[in-house]
Amino acid sequence: MAINKNATGYTFLFSIVMVLMVGTALAFTSLSLKPLQKKNEADKKMVDILGAIGITTTRENAKIDFPIFVKQRLSIDSEGNVLNSTSGNVDSKDASDPFNLDVKKDYRSKKPASELSFPLYKCENEGESIYVIPVAGSGLWGPIWGFVALKSDMNTIYGAKFDHKTETPGLGAEIKDDFFSDKFQGKQLRDAAPYFTIEKGGRETDIHSVDGITGGTITSVGVGEMMNRTISIYQLYFNSVINAQANNNGY
Amino acid sequence: MGTENKAITPKRESLFSKKNRKLLKDPLGDSNPITIQVLGICSALAITVQLQQAVIMSLSVLFVMIGGNVIVSLLRNLIPDRIRIIVQLVIIASLVIIVDEVLKAYQPDISEKLSVFVGLIITNCIIMGRLEAFALANKPGPSVFDAIGNGMGYAWVLLAVSVVREIFGSGAISLPGMGQVKFLPQEWFISSGGFYENNNLMILPPMALVVVGIIIWIQRSRNEALIED
Amino acid sequence: MEYFSIFVKGIFVENMIFAYFLGMCSYLAVSKTVKTANGLGLAVIFVLGITVPINYLLENYVLKEGALTWLDPDFATVDLSFLSFIMFIAVIASMVQLVEMIVEKFAPALYGALGIFLPLIAVNCSILGGALFMQERQYPSIGEATTFGLGSGVGWWLAIVAIAAIREKIRYSNVPAPLQGLGITYIITGLMGIAFMSFMGIEI
Repeated sequence: MAINKNATGYTFLFSIVMVLMVGTALAFTSLSLKPLQKKNEADKKMVDILGAIGITTTRENAKIDFPIFVKQRLSIDSEGNVLNSTSGNVDSKDASDPFNLDVKKDYRSKKPASELSFPLYKCENEGESIYVIPVAGSGLWGPIWGFVALKSDMNTIYGAKFDHKTETPGLGAEIKDDFFSDKFQGKQLRDAAPYFTIEKGGRETDIHSVDGITGGTITSVGVGEMMNRTISIYQLYFNSVINAQANNNGY
Repeated sequence: MGTENKAITPKRESLFSKKNRKLLKDPLGDSNPITIQVLGICSALAITVQLQQAVIMSLSVLFVMIGGNVIVSLLRNLIPDRIRIIVQLVIIASLVIIVDEVLKAYQPDISEKLSVFVGLIITNCIIMGRLEAFALANKPGPSVFDAIGNGMGYAWVLLAVSVVREIFGSGAISLPGMGQVKFLPQEWFISSGGFYENNNLMILPPMALVVVGIIIWIQRSRNEALIED
Repeated sequence: MEYFSIFVKGIFVENMIFAYFLGMCSYLAVSKTVKTANGLGLAVIFVLGITVPINYLLENYVLKEGALTWLDPDFATVDLSFLSFIMFIAVIASMVQLVEMIVEKFAPALYGALGIFLPLIAVNCSILGGALFMQERQYPSIGEATTFGLGSGVGWWLAIVAIAAIREKIRYSNVPAPLQGLGITYIITGLMGIAFMSFMGIEI
């Protein structure tokens, strides 16, 4: 009996079977691979955080190097209060570990800062204390994110590392290159907003700005925006730490 | 009786028969996807800034084309006409997504580079175009050859454009695994007191169109049969 | 004001063809005469104007993480975004099939004139691009998403009608034979792309 492949009944049947098969195949693939993918993401995050403080490591070694250099991880709220603090090895299943706060997702959710908590990494490299702040924002084609490392004065930039999902190769995508992130080393934040500026490519820069990427203006502007927005949230915490230090010093 | 049998049973195609070789050869020149069939343009623009991107994209497209052609060709007698476009798109999309997910789990570094392209591969009109034009009406064997031929035709144009753009736009060349290597001596550049400056226009997508236009110019000068009136 | 801004940006600053270079295949293949270009352009406006809002509803009520909470509060952590591509494409292809059937029934002359170019819309990267941009930019309301869809469509229509008009005019110019037709179109599009870059960064 020949099947008339153009009959309406057959068309419906084919569609339903196809939807079921494709749906199952995709769901199965996605669900079974998710744990491995999450682990890869966590490793990458550790590699990037260490990269921001100048430590180069691999995905395999990241778990071991991370607790050595990242002394403490905190989560703070938008008022600058410390909510949680931990150290040691990272457990990606522990929801209270500040490491597991997904800054990119929080940015996408567009929730107001008062409803979110923000991670902060206190690190140490060659005896120097460094604060690492995760940042997330929008580039030209999609999300961009990164880590900004500040020295213990919470004003001088120790280093930075940026990444993106779908920026233009050769243009906006260059924010990932060391050539771009190295420019941030030694720069300083201003006392008030805008704390830092990414200048349009080719313009003069000073200690409070870096040269953006020529042809990658929108991505570069996105980097500046996410830095400024995020730093303004951490300022309250930084001020409270500086005040505490000043009090301790008996001023 | 012997001759009658010969007339009825069709000869099996040898692997490199004339027909199959034609399937491999034509898309490299006279029926090139980008310059003649006008397919696959969108990806050719953003990707061709660096050679290594073009290489990765070409390999990915080749892989998805072969897979897609084979699957659709095997299913060609089962797919209802009314929904064939949807079915083709769903097959392509599923193939690409599964590849992407597997890479994210087992080869995260490669996957990072590829994630950019996932959307572009799915909507790459070459893949869909060849499914419509060939795989739906032909057996899996020839469909594979058609996929390889068109994939290579797409690839050489992509590689040619990216070589031009990267050399003139960045003064460098890049390969997967090697990264970008700037080969022009630093002293040549104006910033070091020299005379040379990279052509920044080449880095921008519109120039890819101009370079393809020039490739078409060269191609049609060599084969007058391709000239449009 | 927001709507106006999104609409105008879709036409000029974020033109699907000249800024993002999406939908080039049909754009290059169908721009030989203004008449067919116009027909295809209008069809693209229609398809973008309908599929972007439908995909918006899909994105916000089915796909993104926590979208299914209207069904059951326990679904707050369900994230179906890996199905985005497939679902958007299915919506687009179905919509194109629907448009094809409607045009065939109510405007058979137009249907004949457009021929295979109507189903070609399903593979137009600008349509999927529109859905993906909508997903990425997360427009706060369906109104803004629809405006974005319509604006992008109008931008695409403008691009293809413009290049078709130019192509009609230069048929009588002294273009070198090997460049005639497709070759010179590529180059002109490249030049128009460079010209449109002047819109980049304009705040409306």
